[in-house]
Amino acid sequence: MNRKGFTPMFISGIGYVLRETLKGLFRNRWMCITSTGVVAVTLLMLGVFMLLSLNINHITDVVKEQVEIVVYIGEQADRNEVAALRQKLESNPGILEVRYVSSEEHMERLRRQLGSVLEGYDTELDNPLLASFEVRATVPENVSALAAEIENYPGVSEVFYGQEYVESLFSVTRVLQLLGLALMVGLAVTAVFLIAHTIGLTVMMRKKEIAIMKYVGATNWFIRWPFILEGLLMGLVGAVIPVVALYYLYQYALDWVAVNNLAFISMLPLQEVILEVGRYLLPLGICLGILGSGFSIGRFLRI
Amino acid sequence: MIEAKNVCMKYSKNGQYALTDISFFIDRGEFAFFVGSSGAGKSTLLKLIIRELTPSAGCLKVFNRDVGRLPRRKLPYLRRNIGMVFQDFRLIEDRTVYDNVAFAMMVIGSPLREIRKRVPQVLTLVGLDDKAKARVCDLSGGEQQRVGLARALANRPSLIVADEPTGNLDPGTTLDIMNLLRSINLRGTTVLVATHNREIVDLFKKRVIYFDGGRMVGDEQKGFYTHVH
Repeated sequence: MNRKGFTPMFISGIGYVLRETLKGLFRNRWMCITSTGVVAVTLLMLGVFMLLSLNINHITDVVKEQVEIVVYIGEQADRNEVAALRQKLESNPGILEVRYVSSEEHMERLRRQLGSVLEGYDTELDNPLLASFEVRATVPENVSALAAEIENYPGVSEVFYGQEYVESLFSVTRVLQLLGLALMVGLAVTAVFLIAHTIGLTVMMRKKEIAIMKYVGATNWFIRWPFILEGLLMGLVGAVIPVVALYYLYQYALDWVAVNNLAFISMLPLQEVILEVGRYLLPLGICLGILGSGFSIGRFLRI
Repeated sequence: MIEAKNVCMKYSKNGQYALTDISFFIDRGEFAFFVGSSGAGKSTLLKLIIRELTPSAGCLKVFNRDVGRLPRRKLPYLRRNIGMVFQDFRLIEDRTVYDNVAFAMMVIGSPLREIRKRVPQVLTLVGLDDKAKARVCDLSGGEQQRVGLARALANRPSLIVADEPTGNLDPGTTLDIMNLLRSINLRGTTVLVATHNREIVDLFKKRVIYFDGGRMVGDEQKGFYTHVH
């Protein structure tokens, strides 16, 4: 048995595969548009969710940074005791930063916050506010344990850190992250099935061609390549569409936040987010396309 | 070229034997008919030769290779040496005659230069050189089978396997196609034809292998359709 046309096959083979891919896409254009649409819609949903979860993570990070423990110093504590407390706080490895805020500074802040309400009070003489240390933890999640520890230090009158706020924030983020992961996996699996099904239909329509190819001695890879390239192209286009759509959507969201003075919602910059989303969606789209066509062609090759 | 030794074929579905204990030898350049009623096992044997099926027992050698033990990845190279012709033609109807023949060469990776040279050659050989640009669906049955033959010949196989090639054709066209097969055989290609066509077998006086109920019941040089014991 001679291996006919084995050496020159490679070059003309590439030409054949490319021609067949384009022809196949054109001949089954409606089916291809459907498959691409399925990929695009799925990845768009995935992308929206990624944007949300990226920003929620970002916001939590920002908030975490801001979580502080306010250690109020007892009224009767003298200079030495305050200095000792400061040293004790600074030497604690769980604490990143310690800042002293005098009672005058507290008053100043209050005045700025409340504005005209405090007008007319001569607060210089009778300042009821306590001086404090503002402490930032190295690990924000450990804030409650740290606060409990500091509470027992000598010279401390009270420790405040917005306990419930912090704890609920962390548990919400955890739930959101898990939910997001589950949703993404679910969507990806659905996408593979839908693509396998739609590409399966295009393969089915070309069942006869595949059978003929098998009979005249085409290798399985030779038969597979055009389908795989088709899948790859559909997946790629199906991923580019949502990335472009998300770019404009996110820009719109950024503008909306800016216009409505919601600056406290700290959002990630457009470019960074789109790069991050694209970095996942493009390879994912390509993989979905290839997997989908790979699945559907396999059973027609057993002749 | 083809050597069968006690070949058996059992379909796993019902456990019945489609072929039992088949042994024969077909030499290079021979022309042989497989005859027998429907279900006698002719088609199954052809499928074994092209390795669409593998024998349940026995040894079937094609081109000196045991096809039952041929690894799957080597199957394409076996098929490149066999040209197949089907009763239902199996052409791509919405494409031209030229494209159908060229397709068989393209998918095994023949260079374009070679395809442009070879396709007109085989189309001339089967008498369709003037219809190269016609779409297959616009052709008559006889012409479609000529395209099928041209496709089978395109890759210069040393063996042609035809399963009821004239089953769907009228008597006049049948003779044309069979004459084509004979002239292909005269150029040195081994030809195997499974058929029901009594007139052709009796007219050609070639080797005939008889099947009945999955068994080989006769093998005669210059045989007739009806086997005389």
